[in-house]
Amino acid sequence: MIAGLVTVSREQILAITEDVFAAMIDGGSEVLVTERHEPVPAPVEPLCAWVDMTVAELGLGVRTIVRTERPAADQLTRALLMMDASEAVGQEDLVDAFGELANVVGGNVKSLLAAPAVLSLPSVAQTAPELPENQFLQDIALDWRGSVLVVSLWSLV
Amino acid sequence: MKALVIDDSRTMRRIVSSVLTDLGYETVEAGDGQQALDALEVGDEFQLACIDWNMPVMDGLTFVTKVRENRAWRGITLMMVTTESEHGQIVRALAAGAHEYLIKPFTPDALRDKLELLGLLPVEEIA
Repeated sequence: MIAGLVTVSREQILAITEDVFAAMIDGGSEVLVTERHEPVPAPVEPLCAWVDMTVAELGLGVRTIVRTERPAADQLTRALLMMDASEAVGQEDLVDAFGELANVVGGNVKSLLAAPAVLSLPSVAQTAPELPENQFLQDIALDWRGSVLVVSLWSLV
Repeated sequence: MKALVIDDSRTMRRIVSSVLTDLGYETVEAGDGQQALDALEVGDEFQLACIDWNMPVMDGLTFVTKVRENRAWRGITLMMVTTESEHGQIVRALAAGAHEYLIKPFTPDALRDKLELLGLLPVEEIA
């Protein structure tokens, strides 16, 4: 059932991410986020933000998780909040900005689902709640200004 | 001109407010629909409200419905600014009384273009 609901390709996730970064983070039309073809190193200081999309009538859902490392999340927060490069990033700003990034990415993934879904508010933590491997749907690793981001989709059944 | 920026994300409120301020708006921020209604109740006159859909306490669609129920607020232009991009959701928002719909992510130019379409650019911006 979930395979019919989610037919989101890696290319579509990349396109969404490119749009989000160009509009909200990097400004202009220059694409600074690109697909990473090298292996993803184990994160030293991970930070995850996620949103859930629930299709109530089918009892199904999809989780979109954005993962990066704390220094990259700080950099993203500075860009989103138009802060100086030297400015320290507070925890509240970090959670809000990184959560909003996942919200916009996830919201656009939701529009690609085969059935109308309800979007949750974003959550942010060092690690996302663990899900069984058989619920993994799709992921893509991205490079952005020397940092690695991973966007992954998981089924919630 | 005065705009109410309604979003549970402080980040998004800052982004929207920054664009509007650059265009010459004075902005007031609210973290959910109820806070926004409270701001309207105070009696300040707003020409524009930019409204997120998914928020705690009171969502954007409920806020739009409540604003449209009050004749005193019919002069406010309501623009949804949201990730909800499915056709059905856009139709719901417009049917509830929203005038325009801007999908996140958006560029400053996209927001400016919507305001121009609505005739809500401050005079100096049009010139």
